[in-house]
Amino acid sequence: MRDDYLWDGSGDPDPDVQRLEGLLSGFRSKRPAPGLAAINRPAGARLRWSAIAATIAVTAAGAWLVSRGAPEGWQVDRAGSAPSRLAVGETLDTGDAGHATVNVGDIGVLDVEANSRLRLERARRNEHRMSLEHGLIHAFIWAPPRSFVVDTPSAVTTDLGCYYTLEVGKDGAGRVSVLSGWVSFDLGGRESFIPAGAACQTRPRAGPGTPYREDASPAFRLALEALDFGGGGDQALTVVLTEATKEDAFTLWHLLTRCAPSQESRVYDALAALAPPPAGVTREGILHGDRIMLDRWWDQLGLGTTSWWRRLEGKWPESRATR
Amino acid sequence: MTASPVVSISDDAGLARAARHGSRAAFGRLYDRYARMVHGILLARVPRGEVDDLVQDVFLAALRQISGLRDDGAFGGWLARIARNRAHDYHRRSREFADLPEDLAAADRRSPEALAALEAIRGLPEAYREPLILRLVEGMSGDEIAARTGMTPASVRVNLHRGMKQLRQKLDGEARS
Repeated sequence: MRDDYLWDGSGDPDPDVQRLEGLLSGFRSKRPAPGLAAINRPAGARLRWSAIAATIAVTAAGAWLVSRGAPEGWQVDRAGSAPSRLAVGETLDTGDAGHATVNVGDIGVLDVEANSRLRLERARRNEHRMSLEHGLIHAFIWAPPRSFVVDTPSAVTTDLGCYYTLEVGKDGAGRVSVLSGWVSFDLGGRESFIPAGAACQTRPRAGPGTPYREDASPAFRLALEALDFGGGGDQALTVVLTEATKEDAFTLWHLLTRCAPSQESRVYDALAALAPPPAGVTREGILHGDRIMLDRWWDQLGLGTTSWWRRLEGKWPESRATR
Repeated sequence: MTASPVVSISDDAGLARAARHGSRAAFGRLYDRYARMVHGILLARVPRGEVDDLVQDVFLAALRQISGLRDDGAFGGWLARIARNRAHDYHRRSREFADLPEDLAAADRRSPEALAALEAIRGLPEAYREPLILRLVEGMSGDEIAARTGMTPASVRVNLHRGMKQLRQKLDGEARS
């Protein structure tokens, strides 16, 4: 019955409907799927719907400053005030008790917590960039990956289609916590890819640390921090490798390309025990920094394939092959 | 071409409930699932060049209003109403709309035949143009259109059938003239 084809594409094809489908598919919604991963609410995430829902009526009050400028830029909503615009080059300072909700063009929303200071660097239709000098933001971005970038004193945060929280201290240290999608943390070629349910710290001069599960054991997280920023040696690595579970495989995968050469084989063995490498990926290849093998192993971890974020930028986290 | 399969609307109700209680990640998933529906509803009503911006407007409005959603299972119908209202507002506020060349066809790289087909659908009665665009442009199945928009499958089927009949007549007439 021809109506079956009109109904759901089943049954005998209707040539008229087929022709129209072909003609009209070019008008289809172009929004790509953001690739939202399974969402595990991180224990430490500071998410407050009461604040988020206040997109219109922000309840917090306090000192803040937005210097008025050109009509371009982002719309800023704050308690008790009419919406205003933050123009490119201008700074938003929420102050001690302030809070602001910022519409990032038409690609997302930021909740900016008290004591936050940000500057709008770029506001184009498909490219928005800001710097977060210090403070805390919750970013919900529904645009295609890499449409929204945040510079911090110790890393560049690039949205890969997601919802995340980013906090930067006055010392320049930062931490990103991802609820859905992906975020990349990058400084000078040292890059971390952080999936939903994970977090990553960053430090001035050191750049981004190794991403980890929000609910990883405290011992694991402390040892990882020591490895990343505290000069932690074999002892810290032993704790990380001992505490690691299968869900931490992505952490160990990152460590493969950034641990000391003397530690590489230990990391390899631990990762192989938790997530055996696929056929064709060899110990020798991994320890020589073979990019293709590293990619294939990542693809085996069940966190999506490397191909899409590699395709998006064509960059590779610093590895033995590049350092 | 097979239209997209139905997804679980009860699952959407769970997402709507989570979104209503503060999960913007859940809202993000709803956006992902309903973007085509909103796009199609708007494409049936406003100039093509305005559709993408208005899609964002609709979801921003939904994000702001979702705490007032009374029935999580009716999220799709509720969102569809926001989209239709937004299209209505657009026309109410755009006096110059009647003078706009329909989406600057000269600058559109799509084939004249495709543009003509879309305009033929947009010239149909409102009850027919929305399901036809959701089916033929957005690739949704009849079941999915019903589930997403809150219409009954029977209504969608009738409107698709009658709309397609009118569209054939219209395109045939244009081809002969």
